[in-house]
Amino acid sequence: MTLFRRVLIANRGEIAVRLIRGCHELGIEAVAIYSEADATAPHVLCADDAVCVGPPPSAESYLNIERTIDAARQTKAEAIHPGYGFLAENAAFARAVSDAGLTFIGPRAEAIAAMGDKVAARKLVVKAGVPVVPAVEDVADASQLPRVAADIGYPLLIKAAAGGGGKGMRIVRSEADLAPAFAAAAREAQSAFGDGRLFVERYLERPRHIEVQVLGDQHGNLVHFGERECSIQRRHQKIIEETPSPALTPALREQMTAAAVAAARSVNYSNAGTVEFLLDQDGRFYFLEMNTRLQVEHPVTEWVNGIDLVHAQLRVAAGERLWLQQDDIRPRGHSIECRIYAEDAAQTFLPSPGTILHLREPGGPGVRVDSGIRAGYTVPIFYDPMLAKVSVWGETRDAAWRRMIAALREYVVLGCTTSIPFLLDVLDHPAFASGDTHTHFIEEHFPSWRGREQHRVIAAIAAAIDTTRPQRAATAGATAAPASPWATLGHWRVGAGG
Amino acid sequence: MRISLRHKQHHIAVDVHPEGGSYRIGIGETEHVVEAHYIDETTMMLVVDGRRHHVAIARKGKERLVAIDGEIYQFAPESGSAGHVATFAPPEIIAPMPGKVLQVLVKAGDHVAAGDGLLILEAMKMENRLVAEAAGTVTEVRVTEGAMVDGGQVLVVMKYDE
Repeated sequence: MTLFRRVLIANRGEIAVRLIRGCHELGIEAVAIYSEADATAPHVLCADDAVCVGPPPSAESYLNIERTIDAARQTKAEAIHPGYGFLAENAAFARAVSDAGLTFIGPRAEAIAAMGDKVAARKLVVKAGVPVVPAVEDVADASQLPRVAADIGYPLLIKAAAGGGGKGMRIVRSEADLAPAFAAAAREAQSAFGDGRLFVERYLERPRHIEVQVLGDQHGNLVHFGERECSIQRRHQKIIEETPSPALTPALREQMTAAAVAAARSVNYSNAGTVEFLLDQDGRFYFLEMNTRLQVEHPVTEWVNGIDLVHAQLRVAAGERLWLQQDDIRPRGHSIECRIYAEDAAQTFLPSPGTILHLREPGGPGVRVDSGIRAGYTVPIFYDPMLAKVSVWGETRDAAWRRMIAALREYVVLGCTTSIPFLLDVLDHPAFASGDTHTHFIEEHFPSWRGREQHRVIAAIAAAIDTTRPQRAATAGATAAPASPWATLGHWRVGAGG
Repeated sequence: MRISLRHKQHHIAVDVHPEGGSYRIGIGETEHVVEAHYIDETTMMLVVDGRRHHVAIARKGKERLVAIDGEIYQFAPESGSAGHVATFAPPEIIAPMPGKVLQVLVKAGDHVAAGDGLLILEAMKMENRLVAEAAGTVTEVRVTEGAMVDGGQVLVVMKYDE
């Protein structure tokens, strides 16, 4: 089976760098696209060729289908890898890529479209025998309510059919509260969206987010690579992921992975994809959605299964038959990933772009850094503020956990505020250490985090001494070349201190 | 020499006395014996009372950005040799990036608790809530709802409680 000679990477940041590496390892040339804000971004520098596709806003560059396909034609790329985000789950893009005679590295456009429509996807997987959160759409009047509620079971969540952002939303725990909550939600929905229709579903208390990685070829073969737990979220975005989930028993894992494979089969899925579930405290799980692309957190699956999912994506996209049977896949050990964002967790996770003045990445055995930054790089304000991901492997959850803490303590990013101190506090929390995680973990345990400052005095001493030190002409952090370290060493003693 | 620094709402006065190749450092009532070895321009091995600390340091104008053990600090120098000047300097809440003021949640004279919202700034396609670092009184609100602001622009001025 011949793979591609040249592949265009329709993305930026750490995932573009990771995809370019994957191509190079298979002897494939990689073409980057970039916006005017990203001309010297790391993903552009490591590609074999690069094409500017437009001005900084994503809508005019990374989301521009026509320019992206033109860039592939112009550079004679044979296939396009969309990464995650941007055009990755856009069925029209996948179709346009095929229509241009190129290979889309991902599932067929029909599968993307089927899973992209949340209501249709729900119906499809129900037909395939996959459990979904019990719900009734479009409850017209309050008189139907008690019956609907009894069918679904308490506690309930009443949501505006037209809505979002928490407006028109009520949690109801008993029948007595039902009618007033319904009336209030309907009023709110009417005034916020001009549409008082409501949607009622079972409310899950402290659920876990569990997802299953699947991989299919174009010949009907489909396997799974076990689960990932991604319960630690802020702003409904994952920040820590791990595999295996501390909550799954072998029997539950068997059921959930079988459901994931059934959901994927319901759309004849090929390439890499992820089926997401919520798991409640009684061990019941419900289909949430299917992500028809590579996930941010794919490295934890790669760590425990010893597979390279990007290589696999390229191979099955080229038409190769799956070289693995389900029985060949035997996960080993434990892996955790932390996402490093340019954001201030003490300021409600406010993005904090800036110029990276100093960068030192962690290393050592079992530590992987997928990074989209370098020293001297200015994080643009136009895109997602994720800078990098750290993932680790350990023989046990405890070993992986300790390794992650050590890695984050080693990690130095100076120039913008990052989530590293916050992540360390989350990891240090006894509930995380014991695996007692759920999707409201951050709100529950860190409602108003103010910072991790165990070394404030030492830091102040360092800053004060540095302030008294005569400054050289250009001391712009990591970009400054020290004249000679020996001149500044002072009376250095080997093994100094204790 | 006294170096007065501010990190968030913390004011720290550090007395630095070079002594031979090392330093005698005074912070409040406490004295420390410190050796500072520069490994390169951004890396220090700081030995404080015999304990070694691997410190990364970067300079942004007059500010010092410091990383130790996964923690990050941003120290700004404060003028005045005595602590009281620093303490009364009104901390300014600045826009961390260009954006649009969606909502102003406070007015001059309001007393807020640590973590209370001051205003909502739309930037990077997200609604970002700027909060008070510590309890205090709002002395000035310099923007109105709907205003476009530049990164670094002063939005609100606070006087933190003693």
